[in-house]
Amino acid sequence: MKPLCESAPAAIDITNLYAAYHRQPVLENINLSFPAGKWTAIVGPNGAGKSTLFHVLTGGMSPLRGRVKAFGEPIAFHRKAGNIAYMAQREAIEWDFPISVWETVMGGRYGHMRHDPLWRRLLPARWYAASHRDAVHKALEDVNMLALSDRPIGALSGGQKKRVLLARALAQQAKILLLDEPLAGVDPPSEQLILDVLKRERASGRTVIMVTHDMPGARRYVDHVVLINRFVRGSGLPEEMLSTTKLAELAVSAIEQTNTDQTLRSSALALR
Amino acid sequence: MTEMLMGLEVFSDALVSGLIAALMMLVNLLPEEISKPFQYAFMQRALLTSIMVGAICGMLSCYVVLKRWSLLGDAISHAVLPGVALAYLLGLPFFIGAFVTGALTSLGIGAIERHTRIKSDAAMGIMFTGAFALGIVLISKIASSTHLMHILFGNVLGVQQSALLLTLVASVVALLVVWLAFRPLMLYAFDPTQAQALGFNTGIIHYGLILLLTLTIVASLETVGIILVVAMLITPGATAHLLTDRFKTMLLLSMGVGVGSAVLGLYLSFAFDVASGGTIVLVATGCFFMALLFSPKHGVLMRLWRHRQVEG
Repeated sequence: MKPLCESAPAAIDITNLYAAYHRQPVLENINLSFPAGKWTAIVGPNGAGKSTLFHVLTGGMSPLRGRVKAFGEPIAFHRKAGNIAYMAQREAIEWDFPISVWETVMGGRYGHMRHDPLWRRLLPARWYAASHRDAVHKALEDVNMLALSDRPIGALSGGQKKRVLLARALAQQAKILLLDEPLAGVDPPSEQLILDVLKRERASGRTVIMVTHDMPGARRYVDHVVLINRFVRGSGLPEEMLSTTKLAELAVSAIEQTNTDQTLRSSALALR
Repeated sequence: MTEMLMGLEVFSDALVSGLIAALMMLVNLLPEEISKPFQYAFMQRALLTSIMVGAICGMLSCYVVLKRWSLLGDAISHAVLPGVALAYLLGLPFFIGAFVTGALTSLGIGAIERHTRIKSDAAMGIMFTGAFALGIVLISKIASSTHLMHILFGNVLGVQQSALLLTLVASVVALLVVWLAFRPLMLYAFDPTQAQALGFNTGIIHYGLILLLTLTIVASLETVGIILVVAMLITPGATAHLLTDRFKTMLLLSMGVGVGSAVLGLYLSFAFDVASGGTIVLVATGCFFMALLFSPKHGVLMRLWRHRQVEG
């Protein structure tokens, strides 16, 4: 039987992608397609290139080679159109910045505001941004943070910060949601809340792609799993991909890779 | 062509006199002992320049503080010096040379940082001291040391019409850019990754902000000078950061601190007959320490008091 996901049209198509940091290969020969309207989990050991894949998708890094398309068009087009929302890991942000929870989430609307006519953009936010305000209001309600919308973001706890970043991605109302470890370092109630929100997002037709280390959560919720460790190590239904044998293979690939890297490094030293 | 230039000159003269007249109406509302020094034309020009320089430096300083660009501001301001000297040698207006070498140095810093193993602080240190040294060597050959002192430390009391006009144009450009690109600039300062993911061209935002910084420095050259403009690009923003948790409020407060210290510093320097640039910066530094001690949210005293309450 053919798995259901593969017949669905792809939200993101990656062909023959290579990426490197300082000439160290991080991703090699990546060929992947993420099914539209589904919830995909990307699983792999630390340093496997999961975040790098997101950096390529969000324009933070240009690949050495390869092509990335979203809904059949170059992904940059969809970035500009505000169709791709990205929730980075917490560490990437300047938490001392003088900005409230509300304004932070409004940041998710900036891509759309660019397409509003100039004269409207020059109006004070109070008059101008009714539709944008509604989106922010709803997103904050979804993650249960509306009561704290006037707080400076620096004053929030770890779980609350994650929820605000999720709200910003939701407020964008994008077709594709990219989430880099949305569940790392959050308390159990926040975790459940985030999973429920993502379930609702998928139900309303959005494509959700998240990096996660949470195997039980992934088994319960997602439709599709991608295993990555520099190369694609598997792509398919959660039952298959998250089986003990598959995960053991992935772990072995991680160890092997460290070994090859070390062999390479020591032979390079010997050559010197 | 000549007629057009003449027309432009007449227009700009009229504009400046109009602004000064409007400013003087406000000044004349003050008690006579205070408004007295501003009866001199050179003081009126100095006042207008200081207000504009205080405002744009204050505005830019928010970005400098939040992006951790203090050292970059220092670097660009020093790198302006050889440009001033070269422009003098070539017979060009000084601000063109200043702008070119300032911008080139910041590009050079970026290139070294990206393509070699040298870290950014070392790259800045090397580039700006090198450029500054070149400037000193050039100037020692062509101009007197008084002239050098004016470029280094500013001489707001001697501001000429042309410099005033340059400051005016730079201020209008800077204010317009920040107003029109307010959201992308804020998002870039807060979370560049997000700006990129939303399809903003962060390269343009980054270099645009650096060019704006260079423009501000060039415009402040005659008022506070190369060395002290760095203070005006850091202190007002840092002061405002201690006082508020809202970016818009921070911008306004920072501009207020910039303008306030420029005006008060100018007045004090006239009253006590001391160097204007230094006095302006001292007032700004005073504001910073007041905020550091007394800020209701992030001040030292408030923090001590809160600790005591928790312990008690």
